[in-house]
Amino acid sequence: MAYQTFNKKKFDAFSQPMFFGENVNVSRYDTQKYKIFESLIEKQLSFFWRPEEVDLSTDRKDFVNLPEHEKHIFLSNLKYQTLLDSIQGRSPNVALLPIVSLPELETWIETWSFSETIHSRSYTHIIRNVISDPATVFNDIIENEFITKRAESVTKYYDALIAGVSLYQSFGEGTHTINDEKVTVNLRDLKRRLYLTMASVNVLEAIRFYVSFACSFAFAERATMEGNAKIIKLIARDEALHLTGTQHMLQIWALGKDDPEMGEIAAECKSEVIEIFREAAEQEKEWAQYLFKDGSMIGLNQDILGQYVEYITNQRLAAIGFDTIFSTKQNPLPWINSWLVSDNVQVAPQEAEISSYLVGAIDSEVSVDDFMDFEL
Amino acid sequence: MLAMKDKDQDNPEGFQLDSDYHDNTDFHLESPVIEADSAVSEILQTELFLPEQNPESPEPDDQLELLGLEKPIHALTIEGVSEPLKFHFANNLLESLEAQNIHVPYQCREGYCGGCRTDLIEGEVAYLQEPMAWINEGEILPCCCVPKTALRLKLKG
Repeated sequence: MAYQTFNKKKFDAFSQPMFFGENVNVSRYDTQKYKIFESLIEKQLSFFWRPEEVDLSTDRKDFVNLPEHEKHIFLSNLKYQTLLDSIQGRSPNVALLPIVSLPELETWIETWSFSETIHSRSYTHIIRNVISDPATVFNDIIENEFITKRAESVTKYYDALIAGVSLYQSFGEGTHTINDEKVTVNLRDLKRRLYLTMASVNVLEAIRFYVSFACSFAFAERATMEGNAKIIKLIARDEALHLTGTQHMLQIWALGKDDPEMGEIAAECKSEVIEIFREAAEQEKEWAQYLFKDGSMIGLNQDILGQYVEYITNQRLAAIGFDTIFSTKQNPLPWINSWLVSDNVQVAPQEAEISSYLVGAIDSEVSVDDFMDFEL
Repeated sequence: MLAMKDKDQDNPEGFQLDSDYHDNTDFHLESPVIEADSAVSEILQTELFLPEQNPESPEPDDQLELLGLEKPIHALTIEGVSEPLKFHFANNLLESLEAQNIHVPYQCREGYCGGCRTDLIEGEVAYLQEPMAWINEGEILPCCCVPKTALRLKLKG
């Protein structure tokens, strides 16, 4: 059962399920069982960007001029997003790579997780730009109860899966006595943990990010903190792609063709998944309350943000074939859509004047001096 | 140094490229310009690369013209909307609906987020690019498709 970095067995990759089949051996992308993951990898690679490409110099001035309660909104959102991307930058790798069985899916997980590390790096870039001592912001992430509370609901599914898989890979299925404690390892139970983890990741990508996105775009709608909004726009574009990835996995399982047992589990867990969505929506609404505790900002308040959370929760539930749970039918923040359009994102490295843009460029200036030490 | 000297002695011809060296005194840093009849090359350029129309001038319509074929007009019906709607010139179904004041939720407009998912009750569409978002049976992504027949749609939400 132990993980094999290179599985020497010869097997038909097309007969493997997405997870809990054979460990992947050859990373080949010429054929795929699920072409969608190959497309996602290519799309994600085409999206590549770096935070340093976005000029934040006016944001520094803008931030100084923000009233205190808006500074609180701005920084709190960054803290929360830093937490989410800290989790997403590593957990898909740690939790999913040991059990994945398809090369295209394995690479998608790595590509997905890598792009989250770019997001984390951009938060540092933003925070460093507006705050002289970034440590005060980063330290608060593990001290602030409003943030840690939500960290718990995000990570518990990941941790349960990781713990279960490590026992499975060490001891295999069955009942074992470890440190005088009886532990039962059951593959179906692990698959259940995997399904719930994916549902909770889906919620993370689909709902949890969007309260912060809305605030960042609301700042930029009144022409302040625009560099930040440009970065968040790039992040939102990536997140929409990651969301599509988790939606595909959930839907492929639900159809039951990939792994019949997963199909059964998907049907069994329906109400549990709805609760994960509901809990996340409630937590995000509470978060909106915390954000606006000292006053709201122009264009946004706790009520509208709450309705927006309900609206996107409904939308995301419908996308994975579930019934909606809130009565909100209309998008209360229709202007956000224009910030989420992919082709409006412009990264112009030649404008940002960064030296690394010249990687691979050739110095084409040639003068007579250059031939001075030439001998034929 | 010694090693290098030995090598030179072994190979009295000196350094050679992997093919016979031709004593070519016409060394150019840039490839030589081939003189050609300027009038001829202009015609070639026009024929090969330039579209008949100035691409900068506003186009009367956005759809590619198929020679000798009338641009089809497809009727669109949306549940709960009484006005008659049509698809004629737009680049995709989403743009067409927006132009007729029907608001469909959207995000990426490139087919990967699934934000514009709409129920297709009747009719057939053609995708201009392969949609990446998950689409359930009976759903379409208006941002990246055009109608092939008259359509009957039901908006989400």
